[in-house]
Amino acid sequence: MKPAVAIIGGGIAGMEAARQLLLLGYTPIMIEKSDHLGGHVGEWHCLFPDMSPAADLVENLKNGIKGATVFLETGIAFINRIRDTYNVMLDNGISIPCQAVLFATGYELFDAAKKEEYGYGIYNHVVTNRDLELWFGGREDARFPAKPSTIGFVHCVGSRDIKAGNMQCSKVCCMTAIKQAIEMKEKFPKAEIYCFYMDLRLFGKKYEDFYIKAQRDHGIHFIRGRVSEVGENYDGTLQIKAEDTLNGKPLKLNLDLLVLMAGMVCGKDNAKLTAGLRMGLDTDGFLRSRDNIYGVTDSNRRGVFFAGACTGTKTIPETISEARAAVLGIHNYLMK
Amino acid sequence: MTDRIASGFHPFVLPFLVGMLFVLSYCLIGMVRILFQLPREDRRRFYLSLINPKTALKNVKDIFLNCLIHVRLWKRNPLLGYMHSSIAFGWFMLIVLGHLEVFLFVPGRAKLLYYPIFFNYFVAESDTTLKGALLFFLMDFFLLMVLSGIALAVIKRVRSRLFGMRHTTRSSALDLVGMYALWLIFPLRLLAESLTAHISGGSFLTLPPNWLALRIFGYEIHMLPAWWAYSAALCVFMCVLPFTRYMHIPAEMLLIPLRNAGLKIRNIHKGFAKVEVLSCPGCGVCIDACPMSASRANLKNCTVYLNRQLRRGNKRRINQISDKCLLCGKCEAVCQVGVQGPELRVAHRSSRRYGINQDYSNVVPSVPQGGHKLLYFSGCMTQLTPRISKAVISVLDKAGVDYEWMDKEGGLCCGRPMMMAGRKEQAEQLVRGNTRLILGSGADILLVNCPICYRIFKEEYDLPGVRIVHHAEFFDELAASGALTMAPGKENICYHDPCELGRGCGVYEEPRRLLSQCGGLVKAGHEKSESICCGGSLGSLTLSYSEREAITRNSYADLVVSDPDLVATACPLCLATFSRYADRPVRDLAEIVDKATD
Amino acid sequence: MDFGFVLNPSSTVDLGKVDTTLYDRLARRCPDVKTCMACGSCSATCSAAQYSGMSVRKVLLGLQRGNDVSAMLSNCMLCGKCTMVCPRGINTRNLILTLCRIHDGEGSK
Repeated sequence: MKPAVAIIGGGIAGMEAARQLLLLGYTPIMIEKSDHLGGHVGEWHCLFPDMSPAADLVENLKNGIKGATVFLETGIAFINRIRDTYNVMLDNGISIPCQAVLFATGYELFDAAKKEEYGYGIYNHVVTNRDLELWFGGREDARFPAKPSTIGFVHCVGSRDIKAGNMQCSKVCCMTAIKQAIEMKEKFPKAEIYCFYMDLRLFGKKYEDFYIKAQRDHGIHFIRGRVSEVGENYDGTLQIKAEDTLNGKPLKLNLDLLVLMAGMVCGKDNAKLTAGLRMGLDTDGFLRSRDNIYGVTDSNRRGVFFAGACTGTKTIPETISEARAAVLGIHNYLMK
Repeated sequence: MTDRIASGFHPFVLPFLVGMLFVLSYCLIGMVRILFQLPREDRRRFYLSLINPKTALKNVKDIFLNCLIHVRLWKRNPLLGYMHSSIAFGWFMLIVLGHLEVFLFVPGRAKLLYYPIFFNYFVAESDTTLKGALLFFLMDFFLLMVLSGIALAVIKRVRSRLFGMRHTTRSSALDLVGMYALWLIFPLRLLAESLTAHISGGSFLTLPPNWLALRIFGYEIHMLPAWWAYSAALCVFMCVLPFTRYMHIPAEMLLIPLRNAGLKIRNIHKGFAKVEVLSCPGCGVCIDACPMSASRANLKNCTVYLNRQLRRGNKRRINQISDKCLLCGKCEAVCQVGVQGPELRVAHRSSRRYGINQDYSNVVPSVPQGGHKLLYFSGCMTQLTPRISKAVISVLDKAGVDYEWMDKEGGLCCGRPMMMAGRKEQAEQLVRGNTRLILGSGADILLVNCPICYRIFKEEYDLPGVRIVHHAEFFDELAASGALTMAPGKENICYHDPCELGRGCGVYEEPRRLLSQCGGLVKAGHEKSESICCGGSLGSLTLSYSEREAITRNSYADLVVSDPDLVATACPLCLATFSRYADRPVRDLAEIVDKATD
Repeated sequence: MDFGFVLNPSSTVDLGKVDTTLYDRLARRCPDVKTCMACGSCSATCSAAQYSGMSVRKVLLGLQRGNDVSAMLSNCMLCGKCTMVCPRGINTRNLILTLCRIHDGEGSK
C-alpha cells in the first residue's frame, strides 16, 4: 500500500495535486466542503488570456483524478500529528490516517455587501464579478438590464482596503475587469463601458495585450479614481461618484449596471483548520509559508504542504504550478 | 465636665490652627476669584439663584445628599458609597457633635476654633451624666464609622478589584501625601482620645484601650505625643488639600449652587469650568466607563486625567486628552459630581488658534422645492450607508407620508462635527444656512435618521413651527397611530444606543418599543445611558483607525452577550463602524421596520 | 527696459527646490498622511468639493509640490466622510484640522 496523502480542498490546486500524486503512485484522499469539485474556477465562464472555457479546465482535472478517494460536503473536525503521521478527523466521524497533508483550501471571495457605500444587495443593478461570470454561463439574473447603455466596473472592491480588513492586492481583478469589460462590449457593442481603477496591475503574460485591445478595439474608458459612493436615481438607474484623479476633478456618472470586482480574501476557517498543527497564520490571514521565495509550498511543519491561493492571492497558472511543486515536495518527503 | 487646663491652650493645637487658617483663606480667596471670573450675566444669575428660596433649598439638599451621603455613588457601587459616606458623614458629625459638646459643657470656650477638635484633651470628667454618656457614645460611634471607611480605603488601595473597579486612578505624589495624612488623622485621634480617656472620659471605643494600656504597661503613657501627631496629621492634610484631589471637598460645595443656577462652561480655564475641574474627586469611575479603556495606551486619556492636567496646566497633555476623546458622554453619565467631560473638552478645543478659518459664504446649496409636509434630511454619513435612506423612504411611502428628501443630491453639513471640533463660529454658519433652507420649504416636520444631525438640530437650531424628529420617534408614532403595522419576525434583536441619540438626546424607549414589534428584543451587556460608544464617533479628532478598532471590538462584544440574531442601531456611523467587525448582520432600525412592514 | 517680450515663470516643478516645510510639519504630527495612494475617494465623497474644489488628495500632493492649498480647505465642513472612505485608514479630519492650525496659526511662530 502506497502512502496516503490527505488533500484539503477540491479546487484546481487540490485536483491537480491529486492527479500528480496518482501518477506517482500515491493514494490521495481529497476532502471538499462543498457538493462539487472545481472551487471558484468551476463558477467562472472564460479564462484569460486565451478565453478558454473554465469548464474544460475543471473537466480535464476531474478526468485526471479518477481513482482518487473524494469526500464531498465534508468538513474537517481537526487535524493532529501522531508521531510521523497525521490524523485528519472529518466532521462525519471518519478518521483518515495519512503520511502527509496538503492544504489546498484556496481563498474566499470578498463579500461585496460589506462595502455599504456600493449598495450591493440594496440597489437592483449592482452585481459582482462572480455574478457576471455566472450570468455569462447562462444563469438567469434579474439584476442585469436587457440593454444596458452604460456599464461601470469598480476595481479593488475589498482589496487594498483597511476598512474591509484586507491590505493585500487581489492580483487578478484588474485583468478580470478588462476581460469582462471586453466580453460585455462584445455582447452590447453600443454600451459605454468605464473601468474605475486605483492602479492597473497587469503583470502576466499577454495581460498588457488585453489592455491595449480594450482601449483600441473596444473603446473602453479607463478612469483613475476609486468610486466612493453609489446612489440610486428615481428610475432605478445608478449614479456613482468618483474623483477623476488625472483630471483632478470629482466626477459623477449615471449607469445601468455596476460590476464590483470583489477580491480574493483569506479563508475564514484558516485559524480553525490549522489550530491542531499550531502553524500560525500570516499577518494577512492566509496560511504561512516556510519562506515566501524558496519555500512557498512548504509549511513550517514537516509533512504539511500548501498549494494555491491558501497562502496568498494567485492566478490559475501559478496555482497549477504550485500544486505540482507541492507534489514534488511531498514525494521527496515520503521517499526519505 | 470641667475645664482641665486653665489657659484653654496648649502649643500642640498650633499645627492644626495653621492648616485650618491656610485652607480657609485659600478657599475663600479662590472662591472670590472664581466668582469674579464669571461673565457678568452669569454672576448676576448666580446671586439671584441664591436668594431664590426654591434653588436655595435645592442647594442645601444637593450638598447634603451628594457631598455627605454620596447618594449617587451608593446607587452605582454600594461598597464605594459606604466608604465615602462613612468618612464624609462621620467626620461631619464628629465636627458637629464636637461643637455641641463645647456649647453644652464649656460654653466659654466656644469661640476657640480648635476647642471642639481637641475637646477631650482640655476637659476632665467631673461627674457622669446621661447627656455626657450619650454624647461620648455618639462621638465614639462616628469615629468608628470613619475608621471603618478608612479601613475600606486601605483595602481598596491594595485590591481595587474587590470594589468592582478594573482600573483606578494613578495617584500623584501630593495626592499620596494627602491620602496618607487623611488615613492617619483618625487612628491618631483614636489613640490620643484613648490615652486621655481616664481623665476626660470616653465610651465603648476609647475606654477599653485606655484600660488595656494601663494593664499592659502598668503606668500611664504620656498622652501629648499622640495629640501632637493628631494635630500634625490634620495640619499636613489641610496644607496639601488645595493641591490634591481632596480639593473636591470644598469645590463641590460651590459647584452645586453654580450648577443649580443654570450656568454653563464658557472658558476652559475660568469660572464654572474651573470649579468643575476642582470638584473632580479623582475616584476613577470614568476610567472603566471610558470606551477608550479598551486599550491600555489610552487609559490616561479619560476625564479624571483631563482634570488633573487642567489643574497642573500641562498644555501638551491637555491638547492630547481633549483631542482624543470620542465625546460619547459616558464619563459624564457615571460621574458622581457631574463633571461634564465632553463640554470641558469642546471648550478647550474652541480655545485653539487656527490659521485657516472656514467660511461658507460662497456655498450655494440646492434649495428644497417646498410644499411638502415633511422634510427628510439624511445627512452626510447616510450617503455612505444607502441602505438606511432607502429603508426610510420605503417606510415613508408605505405610511403614505407626504415628504421631500432635501439632501438627496448632497447638501450642507448639519454643523455638529464642526461644533464637536470646538469651531462654534463655523458651525453657526452651517446652522444658519440649513435654517434658511428648512424654514423656506414650509415643512412642518423635519425628519432625520442621523443622531449626530438630530442632536444639533435639537440643541442649536431655532426652527419655529417645525418639529424635529428622529426616525425612531417618527416611526414609533406612525406605528402607534396605525399608519404602520408590523408583523414580528422570529429573530432576536439587540439594540445599540447611539451616544448622540441616547445620552445626547435621551431617546431610549422609542427604538426599543419599535423593535419589540419587529422581533424579540434581547439585552446588551450595557444599555441606555451605560451603552458603550461604537468607536466611530466624530467627536474624536485624533484617534487612529487601529485605536478605534480596539474600541469597536470591545463594544461589539458587549453588545452580543445575549447572542442575538442581528444587531440594530439607529445611526449611520454606528452601523458602518460595527459592520466592519461584526460576525452577524448589523441593521438600522429603519431597515428592520421596513422588513417587518412588508 | 522693454525687450518686447516677457518671461513667464517656468511651469516646471523643480522638485529639488520645492519648499515642503508645511508638509513635513504636517507629516510629523500626522504620520499616516505618508501612506496616501491618491485613489481620490476622499475627493469624490467630499461634501465641500463642489464649492471649493476641496480634495484631501490634492492638498497632500500640493503640499509636496509647493502649491498653495489654503483656498481648498476653506469650505471643509469636517463632516468626516473622507475619513470613512479612506482605504488606507488615514485620519483625514485630523489632517485638515492640523493643517488649519499650523497654517500661520498655532505653533507657526
